[in-house]
Amino acid sequence: MGAVMTTRQAAVAVDEDAQYLTFMLGGEMFAIGILGIKEIIEYGSLTVVPMMPAFVRGVINLRGAVVPVVDLSARFGRANSQITRRSCVIIIEASTEDGLPQDIGLLVDTVSAVQEIPAAQIEPPPSFGARIRADFISGMAKVEGKFVIVLEVDKVLSIDEMSSLAEAGQAPALDFDPR
Amino acid sequence: MSINLDQAQQTFIVEARELLQAMEQSLLQLENEPDDQDAIGAIFRAAHTIKGSAGLFGLAPIVGFTHIVEDVLDRLRDGDIAVDADLIALLLKCGDHMLELIDVVASRGEALTPAALQRGEALREALGVYHPLHATTADAVTAKAADGESAEVLWHISLRFGADVYRNGMDPLSFLRYLQTLGQMVQVDTLTDSIPALENFDPESCYLGFEIDLRSTASHATLNEVFDFVRDECEVQITAVDEAPINPASTGTELVTQAEPTHRSTAPQRVATASEAKPRDGNYVRVNADKLDELINLVGELVIASAGASLLARSCNHDPLHEATSTVSGLVEEILDGALHLRMIPIGDTFNRFRRVVRDVSQELGKDIDLLISGAETELDKTVVEKIGDPLMHLLRNAMDHGIESAEARRAAGKSSKGHLSLNAYHDSGSIVIEIADDGAGLNRERILEKAQERGLVASGAVLSDQEIYNLIFEAGFSTAEAVTNLSGRGVGMDVVKRNITLLRGTVDLDSRPGQGTVVRIRLPLTLAIINGFLVGIDQATYVIPLDMVQECIELDEPQRDSSREQGYLDLRGEVLPLVHLRDHFNHEGPAARRQNVVVVRYAEHKAGLVVDDLLGEFQTVIKPLGKLFGALRGISGSTILGSGAVALILDVPALLNQLVQMEARTAQAPQSPLVVAR
Repeated sequence: MGAVMTTRQAAVAVDEDAQYLTFMLGGEMFAIGILGIKEIIEYGSLTVVPMMPAFVRGVINLRGAVVPVVDLSARFGRANSQITRRSCVIIIEASTEDGLPQDIGLLVDTVSAVQEIPAAQIEPPPSFGARIRADFISGMAKVEGKFVIVLEVDKVLSIDEMSSLAEAGQAPALDFDPR
Repeated sequence: MSINLDQAQQTFIVEARELLQAMEQSLLQLENEPDDQDAIGAIFRAAHTIKGSAGLFGLAPIVGFTHIVEDVLDRLRDGDIAVDADLIALLLKCGDHMLELIDVVASRGEALTPAALQRGEALREALGVYHPLHATTADAVTAKAADGESAEVLWHISLRFGADVYRNGMDPLSFLRYLQTLGQMVQVDTLTDSIPALENFDPESCYLGFEIDLRSTASHATLNEVFDFVRDECEVQITAVDEAPINPASTGTELVTQAEPTHRSTAPQRVATASEAKPRDGNYVRVNADKLDELINLVGELVIASAGASLLARSCNHDPLHEATSTVSGLVEEILDGALHLRMIPIGDTFNRFRRVVRDVSQELGKDIDLLISGAETELDKTVVEKIGDPLMHLLRNAMDHGIESAEARRAAGKSSKGHLSLNAYHDSGSIVIEIADDGAGLNRERILEKAQERGLVASGAVLSDQEIYNLIFEAGFSTAEAVTNLSGRGVGMDVVKRNITLLRGTVDLDSRPGQGTVVRIRLPLTLAIINGFLVGIDQATYVIPLDMVQECIELDEPQRDSSREQGYLDLRGEVLPLVHLRDHFNHEGPAARRQNVVVVRYAEHKAGLVVDDLLGEFQTVIKPLGKLFGALRGISGSTILGSGAVALILDVPALLNQLVQMEARTAQAPQSPLVVAR
């Protein structure tokens, strides 16, 4: 699990033309702001945690810390990602409601590039039609003549929402009513 | 300098809290043995040190209040007033107020709330009863210098600080500031004669001297005490000035003729007590708990890494390498034990805090109750000690309120009118047991059962053992007290106690004999960070079962497997053992392994067999929490990292069994008593 790229040093806050990491998922290109990204690692061995919703792929050992990995595709309500040679885990520092940061891995198909996208080239999200929950999208960026969906990481990786989904996922098994 | 002072102030706050704790202990001891001179001395020293240090930091509210307390203590020490219950109660309250002052004024830098100020005022008044009339007992010098108690005297103080005062962490200015709290400073002359030429000037040395005229009602001894902290290295002279004649301008000469005019008038034992009050714990090093945690985290990593190395070495078939890694593993284990031991602190401090609680509560209830403490030296993880305080407090209050009867009822039952409560701690097979025992009336078996049935906790036909009935009081929403007192009886307590203990991976159970009393036993793990685990494999995944819950392992052979699958239980030497197929429970796909094993686990009175594929042996497990995302996950309490670098999940056996019991109860349409399943 060697670090493919450490982006922390590159994380310089530029107000106007922020840097984004672009990656592929199910043939579509997405982008996330670079500031929250800690590192990108190859997909390696992963331990499945039972009784969790499909989008929680499992946990990995990141130099001694146990980090959960979220399958982004499943989080969007699609099928689980197929693991390929180029599958990567993007480690992101997510914030929780109580203010304690927690690292979360994001499983994606391939990581493309870090690039600057001028704020002027980012359009507001469409209210429908992107086939992804509207609140997950922070904007549509125009890169090389194509649209790239810029994700709202705080919403996509909202620990509070995901853990309540996990709870709801467990409930049917517990409240099983045969009548 | 200011940064250093901040640090010093932190130390002061920590020390002051400890001193107040010690003072409270001594006061309680004094209550039992009113003639204990050592205890009186200890109380006085505590107050005195707090006052002195608070003065250094210019914390006038603390100094002002403590000064009054100290005066009374001084009289107590001199035998002018006698120890009685009222005085002790008053002094205990004073201790509380001082603690509040320290918390509010020193730590947060805020002013006291009006309510607290009022309390302080009331205490001052109450202390005034014990207060000496200054004229009668004040020190000789004061008496000589001034006739009336309130007469102000003009003192002349010649002060020459030693060169090392800064290096010793003292700030001359703070002494002047403190002097200002004692009276009105008429004149201060700073003497700069000894400042050397610039090339010889050491910025860390102090070259200053002061000549101070102070108009104050304070006695010579009080002024003298101000300089207790720097006496060793400074020259201090305090003289009473006859107002009119002496000309304060002649300061320069006084330096030369500094003989010993009034120094002798300082009571010698006063100096002695001041030096005693300096910290006695030279053998201890104060370490920030965060640093310790960091160290223990690292040691945890080391354990994992060394397990990985041994694993590799074993696969290499290289004997010397194998030997070397096993030596390393042995050492690492020792380091681990040592590091964990650093976090262990005796439970005694927590126990001793309850003396005060018992005293206060028993007075409030009008019962005479004695607290016996044993096993105070038993050591526990710091976090556990911190978190066990509240549950213990609740159990004690409960025992005092409901357990121990009133004196009349006790006499009627043929018992001594004094109730006994005991707190005991001891090691028992890898865990710590804390026992809270009372010799009260015991629990009322019938009433508990009735209540439980009324609340629907137990089905009406269920047959329960006495033990099970008693433990019902730990269920949520259960209280049998007919009258709700302000201490307990609201029925929110016992289930919270149980939950808090469970959070510490501990268990609680209760035993009671009618008329003879109740014993509550809390069983806690020695440490929270590391457990002995038993590794089992299902498919490619590895799970850890806490070793102390594993009873035995058996192989599940082919015929047994089929029958047990249908029945859901196994015949274990004539006993029914319900089985849990972890493979199905955790939704592992793929066909079952050819060989399967059963791990028999036991938690409290529940016993079950967990069906797994492989048994992989024991493993020192460093617990890594799974984080908030998995907060809702039941049956798994955490994770750990194996020698191979893979993550293994730790089973939470009690939660797992409970979950199964609940599922079963729901599937079987008419819920039987949920408590008597899977025994």
